[in-house]
Amino acid sequence: MRVLFLVALLAQLMSASGPAQTYTPSTPLPRTTSAPALRAFATAREVEERFKIGLDAEARGDWNAGVAEFNRIVALNPPEPKGSTAQYDLAIAYANLQRNDDAARALRAAIARDPEFLAAMANLIAVDLARRDVGEARRVADRYVALAPDAARALYSRGIVALQAGDAQTAREDFGKLLHGNPSYAVAHYDLALAEERLGRFDAAERELNSALALAPAYARARFALGVVLLREGEHTAARDAFARATADASGDPALENIAAAMRDSIKVP
Amino acid sequence: MMEGVSRTPVFRALALALFVGTLLCGRFALAGAASLQEMLDGALTPSSAPALLGPITSAGRIGWQCRPERAASSKDARDSELPASPSTP
Repeated sequence: MRVLFLVALLAQLMSASGPAQTYTPSTPLPRTTSAPALRAFATAREVEERFKIGLDAEARGDWNAGVAEFNRIVALNPPEPKGSTAQYDLAIAYANLQRNDDAARALRAAIARDPEFLAAMANLIAVDLARRDVGEARRVADRYVALAPDAARALYSRGIVALQAGDAQTAREDFGKLLHGNPSYAVAHYDLALAEERLGRFDAAERELNSALALAPAYARARFALGVVLLREGEHTAARDAFARATADASGDPALENIAAAMRDSIKVP
Repeated sequence: MMEGVSRTPVFRALALALFVGTLLCGRFALAGAASLQEMLDGALTPSSAPALLGPITSAGRIGWQCRPERAASSKDARDSELPASPSTP
């Protein structure tokens, strides 16, 4: 009888000697019986889970599911940085559903909760330009540049907004500063040329366009702009050549190809 | 006498037609020049706005793991998710 008992005891010990499985929860396990504290733990856990589900949904392009998850997080009103981040992610889902007014509202809420949230400002400018609210885009761009005066995206964004708003002087300053740190960025040379052209500084515009084309020889839009500047300078033969080259290079852009061909054909060269 | 009476209205009509024709040609020429100018002005459009920066995890924007915030604050255009140059040599 004793032997049997000993064998059973040994068998029990052996079965219990395996390594115990451990789980590492993303939120700490509650160590309380307080109802408010348990509710707070549950909410924190729900926020974490919905972030994961929402980000997975956005990664696979399921924007409606993303809206549902991030809207629920916003309703739970989590503390920072989760509150502003949920609004930011919600805005991305809205923007991809072409609900740009809702996207702008969510980004404004993100910035209200975190006033130095640069990525939210960058996205709000892009959304505002899509919904043609150049006024708000300019106000946000001014704030963005004030917070990050050397940031390439801040300078580019405000430069584009300024060009769209007819403020060529600000565009000239921003693209000039952007190029100071990034001289090989052809797109900025093109936009600086547009600012110079609008200020009547055709020599400077021509120089910037030649820089853009040296960096990107098949840059059809820059080649077309060069034709326009040359035409304004009275260089008809060179302008016609530029339009002809722009026509050839703009094969992927039918609108540009047509207008470049029309310009080429409208210039009578002796 | 009859010839003189009959020629005057013809000459007047011809002169009027010439005058009107000149006016119309001038008007069309001006309209053409204006439309060319408008065409040129409208063709010089700024580059596109940058694409949206991507989502951020629940950890928030602080720290090196947050790529969108780094793109928003980088001095380098290549790290800022700006529109790419159309071609490279």
